[in-house]
Amino acid sequence: MSITAVEPWVEAPLRKFVEEARTVLALLLHPSGQVIAQFGFARAAAVMSACAPAAAIHASSGELGRQLDGRPFRGLHHAGRDRQLYIAEAATPRGAFIFLTVFDQESSLGLVRMYFDEFSRSLAANAPSAPRREEPVLEEKFEHELNKNLAALFGRG
Amino acid sequence: MSSPFTAILSSLTRQRGVRASLVVDENDGIVVDSNLQIGQDGDKVAALAASLYRKARLSAKAARLGTATFMQLEAERGRICAAGRNDLVLVVVADPAANIGMIRVEMIKAAGALP
Repeated sequence: MSITAVEPWVEAPLRKFVEEARTVLALLLHPSGQVIAQFGFARAAAVMSACAPAAAIHASSGELGRQLDGRPFRGLHHAGRDRQLYIAEAATPRGAFIFLTVFDQESSLGLVRMYFDEFSRSLAANAPSAPRREEPVLEEKFEHELNKNLAALFGRG
Repeated sequence: MSSPFTAILSSLTRQRGVRASLVVDENDGIVVDSNLQIGQDGDKVAALAASLYRKARLSAKAARLGTATFMQLEAERGRICAAGRNDLVLVVVADPAANIGMIRVEMIKAAGALP
């Protein structure tokens, strides 16, 4: 299963993460829900259905953290029966990104958290210095951008 | 603040040459309790040592060697020892000059007392 990225500077840190943490799936996305890179997904539809809830979970858990603790939670872990999920934010000079990864018994939460810290540092170091242009995400433009990114990842126009 | 593991960890850390002792969840690789000297990264050691111990335990099982009781990793500047019971792993980081025989005895005894 290969890694595909819309922005090439993301690829090397993500490759290192999945090789070392031995995770099953990984997804890097913009907080708006736009996908930046993926590992392990076979179809664009699966990426789409993971991005939207990941962005929503990140937004709501961040707000919950702010309400309870005065700051957003650092990471969110959900342990399923066979697979586990970890969502956390990676800060870079290009802005914050949401990172989602799914792992099974080949890895562990401790390993995922440890390698996520390394990934986050590496991502920040690799990020181009120019900040990402922040534009309001309009509904029609969002869909166009989403389709463009998915086409870049899965090779379909 | 003391925990059910404070006495076990204190007794291991009192051994000469022991730099860190930890109780780690074998499946999650997360520190349950620890006694660390300055400069030791407990989270990293816990995650990696628990993963290593788990694989060693599964290897022993696959080779039909029975239950793994003690694992020792020798490195250039020290040793990592692990002994586990019921999804918990005791991990000790020690200097090369530490009395590993004594540490082993203490760890196996302590692992038997894990809940």
